[in-house]
Amino acid sequence: MKDHIETTTAWVCDKCDKALVSQKVKVRYLEGNFEVDLLKCPECNMVFIGEDLALGKILEVEKSLEDK
Amino acid sequence: MDLDKLLEIGNQCIHSEPPVCVASCPVHMDVIAFVHEIEKGNFAGAYKIMEQKIPFSRLIGKICDHPCETLCVRKGVGGSIRISELEKTVIDLGYTIPKKPLLLPKNKGNIAIIGGGLSGCVAAVELNKKGYKVTIYEKTDRIGGSLWEYEGKGLETAVIKEELLVIEKKGISICYNTEVLEENLYSYRGKYDALYLGAGEWSKAYRINPETFQVENSSLFIGGKIQSHNHSVIMSLSSGKRAAVSIDRYITKTSMLASREREGIFETKLTYKIDNVKPIDVVVKSSHNYSENEAKDEASRCLKCQCDACIKACVHMQRYNITPDRYIRSICHNERIVLGNRTANTMINSCTECGLCKEVCPIGIGMADIIHATRESMVERGKMPLSAHDFALKDMQYSQSDYFSLVRKQPSKEASKNLFYYPVIAFSAYARGLYKGSGKTGYLFYPGCQLSSTHADYIGDIYKHLVGVIKDKDADNDVGLYLGCCGAPADWAGRFDLMPESVQKIHKTWEEMGEPTFILACSSCASTFEKYLPMIKTLSLWEVFDTYGLPEVDIKKGKRELCIHDACATRHNSALHESVRSIVKTLGYSIHELEYSKEKAKCCGYGGLVSCANPEQAEDFVKDRISESEADVLVYCAMCKDAIVKGNKRAYHILDIIYGNEINQDSPQKMPTLSERQNNRKHLKQRLLKEIWGEEVMNTENIYNFTLHISEDVFAILEKRFILVSDIEKVIDNAITKKERFFNPQTLHYLARLRLQNVTYWVKYAEEGTDIFIKDVYSHRMEVVEG
Ligand code: SF4
Ligand code: SF4
Ligand code: SF4
Ligand SMILES: [Zn+2]
Repeated sequence: MKDHIETTTAWVCDKCDKALVSQKVKVRYLEGNFEVDLLKCPECNMVFIGEDLALGKILEVEKSLEDK
Repeated sequence: MDLDKLLEIGNQCIHSEPPVCVASCPVHMDVIAFVHEIEKGNFAGAYKIMEQKIPFSRLIGKICDHPCETLCVRKGVGGSIRISELEKTVIDLGYTIPKKPLLLPKNKGNIAIIGGGLSGCVAAVELNKKGYKVTIYEKTDRIGGSLWEYEGKGLETAVIKEELLVIEKKGISICYNTEVLEENLYSYRGKYDALYLGAGEWSKAYRINPETFQVENSSLFIGGKIQSHNHSVIMSLSSGKRAAVSIDRYITKTSMLASREREGIFETKLTYKIDNVKPIDVVVKSSHNYSENEAKDEASRCLKCQCDACIKACVHMQRYNITPDRYIRSICHNERIVLGNRTANTMINSCTECGLCKEVCPIGIGMADIIHATRESMVERGKMPLSAHDFALKDMQYSQSDYFSLVRKQPSKEASKNLFYYPVIAFSAYARGLYKGSGKTGYLFYPGCQLSSTHADYIGDIYKHLVGVIKDKDADNDVGLYLGCCGAPADWAGRFDLMPESVQKIHKTWEEMGEPTFILACSSCASTFEKYLPMIKTLSLWEVFDTYGLPEVDIKKGKRELCIHDACATRHNSALHESVRSIVKTLGYSIHELEYSKEKAKCCGYGGLVSCANPEQAEDFVKDRISESEADVLVYCAMCKDAIVKGNKRAYHILDIIYGNEINQDSPQKMPTLSERQNNRKHLKQRLLKEIWGEEVMNTENIYNFTLHISEDVFAILEKRFILVSDIEKVIDNAITKKERFFNPQTLHYLARLRLQNVTYWVKYAEEGTDIFIKDVYSHRMEVVEG
């Protein structure tokens, strides 16, 4: 999950009106627990996941965890 | 799962069995590879293949007595392939000087060969190759024996000499003019680790083991004419080759007999059907040997005999390029793996469990049950990929919930009073049926979840028709209605843990209703009932229509030709096949029978939840199926229609022609979306309750204060990603009420996410007042811990 995840974006948190920052975030699926750098709102912590990431790297990791 | 038993089944598969020509060639030349090379015009390649199995192939290929041709499958359809003639041409056009052999140390033992005839020379060369020091004792002044009988009669003198020279070049010693006799044989036995006797004639008759060519347990081995008692060149050669194997095993003290059953001529298990083979006559030589083109033509007559009946019939095996023997091995590997990836998971979830392979296999190997057991085992061990069937199982849950599930007895006589007046009672069979209400439910109409999703409009009419025709003939038995899902999706997914709940619910209803006969309209329901509820008597709706009469609808009779796509789940129900055909004919259509019909029906791709687990594989199935005929397709399973229409082929459900809804032949056909399918079920229940039982249902629909706008393109994305409109609504509602969303000041779009059960849904949209324009949707299963 390390390689190529966006670190800047035009998207902002609508509630807090804050620019997103790249920070370590915990993600988990089945038996897998990871820490990855993702964009999130520094105030309310809402994490941003774009389509490319969801259907690319994340899907790939999901599939390989399912086949473990 | 008993993996050893499984492997045994796999071993019965004759896919890798050699053709009869190879089995009856004493040295098993690979005939199919050989003719393939000839067809390609690669004669050097073809010669290489001869060389791999035939010692002295440049000579033997010209004079072999070709037992391979005697049983050739082509024999009765044009004549055996002239393999021996092809070999001659291949030598002429493809002979290449062999590479200089590496002279390896010969230190495994000392062997004497008595008799430098053909079998002796072969034994010598083979043992030399295996690392033995070999000496040939020959009573005349030249080796080669019977080969010289062909001098000028097939073999040129120079070529014989050149080929025999190879022996000495390999470092084999030859003692010419040295006759060994029975009397002094004993002294040789003392000097050598083993002896091969291939002298052609001998004074004493030894008892020779026919498998090993060994004399008792001694160091003496005998082959060639003394052993075979015939003049076959190839048998003589084969005995020398086999004796060399025995001598090596004898000296290295390994088992003399282990796995040698298939040396020499043997019987293959392969049976190759010639029912559909067109006869083609043997190619006639225009000169002494086949010319290049004649050889190519002759080679192309070869049937390349191999069993591939199942792979030919099944696009699943084609996609994975696998036959049951290897399939079973990869299942076993997948099951046994402890660490590492289970790479066969997707393949295992891509079989429709249609059962066709078993129908076409000459020995009845079927993958459906095996794959089903594998899926159950994966579920049991917690190794079934969650995403493969998740959507279908949630949809099943929906069907089994109060949104759709419904059981009702026939409306009572008391409740239907207002229908019993003229003219209604005179013209409505349904009203007369209600009038005869007995209170005893003899039949329960069970349309199933899929028909109700895609053909909901017919259900009420069918129900009324059933009440009318059944009560007319069978006044004692009322007709009730049961909406629900039989649990087939759980079964396909291997979720045996979910089956008892589905099945018990149906069983309990059946008991409470006084054990009525179920009238089923879905072929998958029929299979599920047969498997899990064998105590319940069932009838197919089509049989009921065929026996009690069709609904009277004022339609012009069709005149077109339709091809019938039988539902694979019904393959063994010939009564049903006949009912369907009889209905189609009654309605005036002619029938074009597909090659794969009835017990050989091909699956539309929905079976086994393949469209959920591997949509591309499902597409293969439908493409394969619709390519079988130009004519429009008639189906009697709602899922088949769905799959075929989505594959861009015009398809009619049998109900479409019964109710006269296939008239508009030019308008494009469209199937409901995943979201519409759920809504159709919900609305069907509400409508039937109201229209037939007079029950008012509270509308449970969520009322949101925004309106979604979804373009066709975005809808296509939704379908592909298995996302429902109701999921989107929840995301938007949450985004608006809690402001949990991102905003893009450049595009002015919002992006919102919400986790629903085990999936996080993301929706990108534009907002204009209460109008929401959906731009994009996607999801992931990975959980993000926010905070
Ligand atoms: S048709 Fe070809 S493969 Fe089949 S037995 Fe004859 S030569 Fe062999
Ligand atoms: S899809 Fe049908 S024919 Fe193919 S392997 Fe599965 S059960 Fe056999
Ligand atoms: S039909 Fe398929 S499973 Fe049956 S023997 Fe032939 S290759 Fe094997
Ligand atoms: Zn925020």
